[in-house]
Amino acid sequence: MRALAQRGPETKLLAGGTDLLPQLKNGLLKPARVIDLSGVARLRAVESANGQGLRIGSAVTARALELDRTVRSRYLSLAESGALVGSVQVRNLATLGGNLCNAAPSADMAPPLLALDAEAIILGPKGERRVPIATFFTGVRQTVLAPDELLVELAVPAPGAHSGGNYLRHTPRRELDIAVVGVASQLTLANGVCTKARVALAAVAPVPVRATAAERALEGQAVTPDRIARAAELALEAARPISDQRGSADFRRHLVRVLTRRTLTTALARASA
Amino acid sequence: MSSVMKTTRDVKGIGLSIPRPDAPEKVTGVVQYVADLSPRGLLHAKLLRSPHAHARILKIDVSKARALPGVRAVLTAADIPELKRKAPTRAHAVLAIDRVVFAGQPVAAVAADEPAIAEEALDLIDVQYEVLAVSADPLEAMKPGAPPVADAGTEADTSEAQAHGSVAGVTTEAKPAKAVNISQQARLQRGDVAKALAESDVVIEKTYRVPMVHQGYLEPHAVLAQWDTAGNLTLWASTQGSFNTRSEVADVLEISENRIKVIPMECGGGFGGKIRALCEPITAILARATARPVRYVMTRREELEAGMPAPQVIIRLKTGVKRDGTLMAIEGEAILESGAFSGAVLAVSGVFLASLYRWPNFDVKGFEVLTHKPSIAAYRAPVAPQTIFAIDSQMEQIARAIGADPVEFRLRHLQREGDKMANGQPWLSNGAVEVLTRIAEHPLWKKRAEWKASSKDGRLRGTGLSLGGWLGGLQPTGATVRLNPDGTLQVLTGQVDIAGTNIALAQIAATAYGVDIDKVKITTGDTDVAPMTGLSAGSKTTYTVGVAVMQAAQNARNQTLEIAAKELEASVHDLEIDDGKVVVRGVPNKGVTLAQIGKKGNLYMSKVEPVLGVSHPAFSVQAPAFCAQLAKIEIDPDTGELTLHDFVVVQDVGKAINPLQIEGQMQGGAVQSLGMALTEALMYDDKGRLMNPSLLDYRKLTAADLPNIETIIVEKPAPHGPFGARGVGEPPIVPAPAAIANAVEDATGVRLTVLPLSPERIALAIANGK
Amino acid sequence: MAKHVLNCTVNDEPTEVLVQPWDTLLDALRERMGLTGPKEGCGTGDCGACTVHFDGKPIASCLLLAMQARGHTVRTIEGLGKPGALHPLQEAFVKHGVPQCGFCIPGVLMAAAALLTENPRPTEEEIRYGIAGNLCRCTGYTKMLAAITETAGAAAGRRS
Repeated sequence: MRALAQRGPETKLLAGGTDLLPQLKNGLLKPARVIDLSGVARLRAVESANGQGLRIGSAVTARALELDRTVRSRYLSLAESGALVGSVQVRNLATLGGNLCNAAPSADMAPPLLALDAEAIILGPKGERRVPIATFFTGVRQTVLAPDELLVELAVPAPGAHSGGNYLRHTPRRELDIAVVGVASQLTLANGVCTKARVALAAVAPVPVRATAAERALEGQAVTPDRIARAAELALEAARPISDQRGSADFRRHLVRVLTRRTLTTALARASA
Repeated sequence: MSSVMKTTRDVKGIGLSIPRPDAPEKVTGVVQYVADLSPRGLLHAKLLRSPHAHARILKIDVSKARALPGVRAVLTAADIPELKRKAPTRAHAVLAIDRVVFAGQPVAAVAADEPAIAEEALDLIDVQYEVLAVSADPLEAMKPGAPPVADAGTEADTSEAQAHGSVAGVTTEAKPAKAVNISQQARLQRGDVAKALAESDVVIEKTYRVPMVHQGYLEPHAVLAQWDTAGNLTLWASTQGSFNTRSEVADVLEISENRIKVIPMECGGGFGGKIRALCEPITAILARATARPVRYVMTRREELEAGMPAPQVIIRLKTGVKRDGTLMAIEGEAILESGAFSGAVLAVSGVFLASLYRWPNFDVKGFEVLTHKPSIAAYRAPVAPQTIFAIDSQMEQIARAIGADPVEFRLRHLQREGDKMANGQPWLSNGAVEVLTRIAEHPLWKKRAEWKASSKDGRLRGTGLSLGGWLGGLQPTGATVRLNPDGTLQVLTGQVDIAGTNIALAQIAATAYGVDIDKVKITTGDTDVAPMTGLSAGSKTTYTVGVAVMQAAQNARNQTLEIAAKELEASVHDLEIDDGKVVVRGVPNKGVTLAQIGKKGNLYMSKVEPVLGVSHPAFSVQAPAFCAQLAKIEIDPDTGELTLHDFVVVQDVGKAINPLQIEGQMQGGAVQSLGMALTEALMYDDKGRLMNPSLLDYRKLTAADLPNIETIIVEKPAPHGPFGARGVGEPPIVPAPAAIANAVEDATGVRLTVLPLSPERIALAIANGK
Repeated sequence: MAKHVLNCTVNDEPTEVLVQPWDTLLDALRERMGLTGPKEGCGTGDCGACTVHFDGKPIASCLLLAMQARGHTVRTIEGLGKPGALHPLQEAFVKHGVPQCGFCIPGVLMAAAALLTENPRPTEEEIRYGIAGNLCRCTGYTKMLAAITETAGAAAGRRS
């Protein structure tokens, strides 16, 4: 942390390197110092907190999330997002913290964490602070992190009984690609009624966003195909997509509808199982 | 030429599936590419490239870069006396003089002790640009008044077309028309198109568009240059043709060719993109300036931004037929966007559009248009996939419109040997009918209605096929075959072996001479030692170098038999080579071993001439080669995602010299073709800047996107090919875009005419009910 | 800038080498250790040609700074098998005629070897995803699939 305290804008923190190194390679970044976090044990741990949820170190790799038994059993959407990053050669290096701190609008691991109401645990010179992941991102490639702060862990509350989630994204290729649109959802049911709904979108706004109108349309209701279709329509309210080399704004809006409907249908099936 | 050698038993030669002998070196990482070479004193080169597609260079200040420790040379155009204005090719435009004409064009070059130092030096070079208006779209660039690309008076370069030697008799005018950016045009006409269209029952007019795509070889361009004190240059190159590289570099550097030795290293893929010189001249100049070996390896970003991709091709077709399916007329216009320098193969497109099918009336115009983008080069069957995408899509739509069976309709009108091509030459013997007939017999085609009807879960199923091909390249070439003192054979050519052609050539030598393949060694020599050999391009290695090797082996065989005839006091006509021995036919114990003959050719005071078979043929007869492909697909109409369930490639190879290597060509070509069909495009903004300069966003297909590629080899002998073989490399890249577009229409009812057929295009077309 | 000492195990040998702080593991292997089997096809983790095993797992060695390999174990294609003593996957790649230009092959083999270590009886789908991080422009992957499938089958046959 001492090195971190002294760090200025010339220093970059390096976790997996899968985003940072291409930027170095292409001359987009020229840091004077790079601090390697991959050896810090706390950052690489996935720990259950006695039924209180999960604490995931920021240097946990995408591959570890993809394969972790606890994550797969209770936080499936997060495992699904981990499994989609890059290729296996990249997933063995890419980290959760790197994916979040790089703060690309298309970050695959952000929507599941938004849908799971995760909190970022941030360490700085004045100690730890917790920030809801929903407010962690402040713009394209921008977060709430101050230059002398470090994302240490993600605290993910346990979804509880009768809860199911899913993450889906669209890419032209099946592997080695970046989300054109990504949608995560999490539905919690009690006596056939949705007590909590979360829908989160990637690559349709400057930051990963919750689709709150879609969520409100489901909470307090029995989740039917019609209500899912309605929610998928409402999810568009949170989307402000741009056209770029990966997809037009029109297509992205189209995909928000399609993927929200599909991910909610899967989440419902999982919550009901 | 296709004489059959007589032996008492079959030698182990042509027809066998044999792995290439260097495969163990390739799977262990031992084999060396240019970037693997690090001679003592090595310097690393980097190029400063223009961020602007069109700009005037007002000032370049390299003083800070030159002062950086570890920097050995910083060059700009002013430092290179050979540089000329009006560069006809990219190779001649070593560094921009005072105007850059595409984003990524080199403006300064650095050689330094470490790559990182060279990169830092680039940052220290200060270039002041005056940004100029850009011609980024070929249709806009054709209009009078568009921002000009070439310097006035620059001559169009048609050597690419000549290198591919593909279409005789079409005169392409290199004289610019009124619009400044039209660098070549051609027109093929027969009959009265307007009248025939007016008399047609069904007229279909469509415009097809295929973007610029990159050859996608995994090894980026790389070269290592070193001069000796006598002024001789050695280039270790990643090239498809070392003699061509030598000529181009000699031309740019204005030195004689025998002062340059090109050593062809293992080439990590070329596909047409490593025919022309690109970074070789500047690397040689840096090596000259520093008197040190200099290595230059392009980054992938540089490859994508400033390599030599395939042209964008825009083809408008208007066809007329009678309701009974009689072809009436085709009117066409093909626009090839060549980027900043001329060099497109214009005529192939016209010949396929006008005369692959028997149009009685045609009028097809071709235009090469320059834009402020990287200049193009060949890409495996240059312009054929783009052209077949248009004409085959059109034929499919006509068949559907008149309710004809799509295969029968194509077969009815497909060219046959002797038909006149649009350029007046006759179609030569080819297997187009055979491969199309064969693929139509495939169970997947016969069961296409069942597949379509089995669509479920909202997904849509379909099947499509297409036929395409390549006219076949020609180039003079040479080969020698020596008999060693131990009775083994030594074959030497200058042919760069990328895809496994050397094993096929060795097999040809084995069969033509009459020994087993394990007695034959083949070597690719450098330009100092090898006989002049052509490019590894144009599907002509086996077809032309194969003939040279075959003739050289026959020549060596004849010499061997003559020596043996004297030894055995027998007539040459009574001799045969069997199991390493020359024997008198019918008298098996009367013979002399090849080793005995070989030894005498290398014995002190011997009067027996060493056996040296030589052949250096030139060629005049092409061997067109055709390929049919079938795609069985399923589409998710909501996301547009296309699942390829099966893909079949049927190809006429004349004679399969080595089926194992041929299958690899067919499978690899098919997957490149599928990439063009489904995911690949170089995407530029309206300022001419590439928007997807990485392999993440320039999407080549992965193993997860594909099924196994089924291969079916058809053998219709080429009259002049070695043992009947014809070219194999290019045909399989041609048909897939049309096959996929036809399958998409079968599944969805939607006809797409712009590549790639991305999920976005498919989903939005379905959603918009097109 | 001063070079750093990198200590790690490469192809079973304890290795000490001087590297620049900005060197990637791929740079260090190729330029400082002479292990040129791993190739640089993109430098950004998008092609797989640089795949090596890092503590037994396949990684894109262009995405790791060399100094991050301190104390770790690295295996390159040079440590998989040698001419004359090929790894079964290498044997199968030769037999099936997989290599054409050959540039992607070292990376594909390292990815496939890691896959079979982790999952000795992969399905076709698992093999396809196991090598989906490796771009090949020559082969169309079909012969690779055949070679990997055959190797997995043969290994399983030996075990049972």
